[in-house]
Amino acid sequence: MMISTEGLTKRYGDHVALDGVGLAVAEGSVYGLVGPNGAGKTTLLALLSGLRRPTAGRLRIAAPRHRLALLPDTPQYDPWLTGREVVSLARTLVGSPGPADRIDEVLAHAGLSEAADRRVGGYSRGMLQRLGIAATVAGDPELLLLDEPASALDPAGRREVLDLLAHLRGRATVLLSSHILTDVQEVCDAVGVLRAGRLLYQGPLEALLVGRAVPAYRVVLRSAIDPVVERLRAQDWTTDVDEEGAGRLRVGVRSLEAAQKGLPRVLADSGAQVVSLGPESPDLEDVFLELTS
Amino acid sequence: MNLWRLEWVRLVRTHRLLALVGTYVFFGFTGPLTARYLSAILGRLGTEGVRIEFPEPVPADGIGQFVGNASQIGLLVVVLVAASALAFDARREMAVFLRTRVRSVRDIVVPAYVVTAGAAVAGLVAGSLAAWYETAVLLGPVPVAAMLTGMALGALFLVFAVALTAAVASLMRGVAATAGVSLAGLLLLALLGGLTPLGRWLPTRLAGAVTELVRGAPPVDYWPAVLTSVVGTVAAVMVAVVVGGRREV
Repeated sequence: MMISTEGLTKRYGDHVALDGVGLAVAEGSVYGLVGPNGAGKTTLLALLSGLRRPTAGRLRIAAPRHRLALLPDTPQYDPWLTGREVVSLARTLVGSPGPADRIDEVLAHAGLSEAADRRVGGYSRGMLQRLGIAATVAGDPELLLLDEPASALDPAGRREVLDLLAHLRGRATVLLSSHILTDVQEVCDAVGVLRAGRLLYQGPLEALLVGRAVPAYRVVLRSAIDPVVERLRAQDWTTDVDEEGAGRLRVGVRSLEAAQKGLPRVLADSGAQVVSLGPESPDLEDVFLELTS
Repeated sequence: MNLWRLEWVRLVRTHRLLALVGTYVFFGFTGPLTARYLSAILGRLGTEGVRIEFPEPVPADGIGQFVGNASQIGLLVVVLVAASALAFDARREMAVFLRTRVRSVRDIVVPAYVVTAGAAVAGLVAGSLAAWYETAVLLGPVPVAAMLTGMALGALFLVFAVALTAAVASLMRGVAATAGVSLAGLLLLALLGGLTPLGRWLPTRLAGAVTELVRGAPPVDYWPAVLTSVVGTVAAVMVAVVVGGRREV
């Protein structure tokens, strides 16, 4: 294990920010930490990075301290430094060996080659976030702790970050907290769900999703939906039929097998023009809301 | 880029070095000038029929005028510059960048302290040399040994003031709070020195030592304050490292 904690607790006066958290992050994995605001995600990352001390519990990290990098959700740097100087300083501070052109390489990966020699005081929030990622990976850390790494990025920037995280799988251990659950679902091998300082679930993403799968189909029609809805509601294998507007239907079913046999028949009998039809895949957002509500 | 260069770049690009040296040099040139022509200036401003007479200025007056101005405004600038470099936890995100990459807070504190204290001493030396030159030209020669000893004692006081600011920065979060508490502490030391027999032991005694030395005071009078300043400086830097290392951000 790269990270293992037992009964990790952090109190601020009477407020319990973390309550007996037992985290287990496998070496080389990408671990997603999700939870509502105030769940304790930032506190947990601060404890793991050594910025704060636990009130109780045990914490073990397999990587040496200088091989660990933390990226805060809104990275900031002295505004009079250039982007290149920030990355250079980050590498020097962790004593990272390797060729000097690694700085250019990480800046290029972050899409900051052209802005590398500009002072960061003139960077946008998205550029600062990308610079933060460049400075984080520049030292080739063994463990990356990323707090909302894609929160300030546009879709293209977010895609680059997700690709980068996928690229790091097996080469470094990544623990990221995120509100963007689709991102967690896409890149993480394992997930931990925090609420009010407690770890409600921890384990492989598939196990979390499969265990809570609700059988349903999603149907998109080009023709009128009322006759279809009427016929579907009359079937004994449907549990509910929700109209979601613009020709979209969500059909809850007793079993996927029954739907696979009955749904095409009902649609054909109704003379519906079918645009698309498919089983609803349970997503992390549904499970997250269920766990944290 | 390393932390030593970071502190140097901070001083140069934010124009803090210019402010430090400029303040001392400005008073270095204007102090002796004021001492030389104060009588003439006040004579022109005087009420008709009233005649103000001043004794003929001597070299020590030129140096004294420089010290009087620079020890207040100059010290204010030194503390502000030191607070901005040493209160590195003022912005959490920037503190995270540094703290998670160094093996000890000492790696951050020592370069920030040494570079800032060095800049403060450089400002004082530049200002003192300006005042020395101007005094020599306008008022007459200044005793070399006394002047050099006085400059060294003044520099030691600034080294102590920056160390005190470093210690305060480990207890406060913001730059303004660090500067305010540091200045209050130095003011308190000065008041204690003026009102109690402790004065000869306090570092603040060194701030104006050059004036008294140029007037003929023996250097031995300042050894107690030198001892306290050295011990206080070492202790304050240790506090900055130890307390700063324990702080949670």
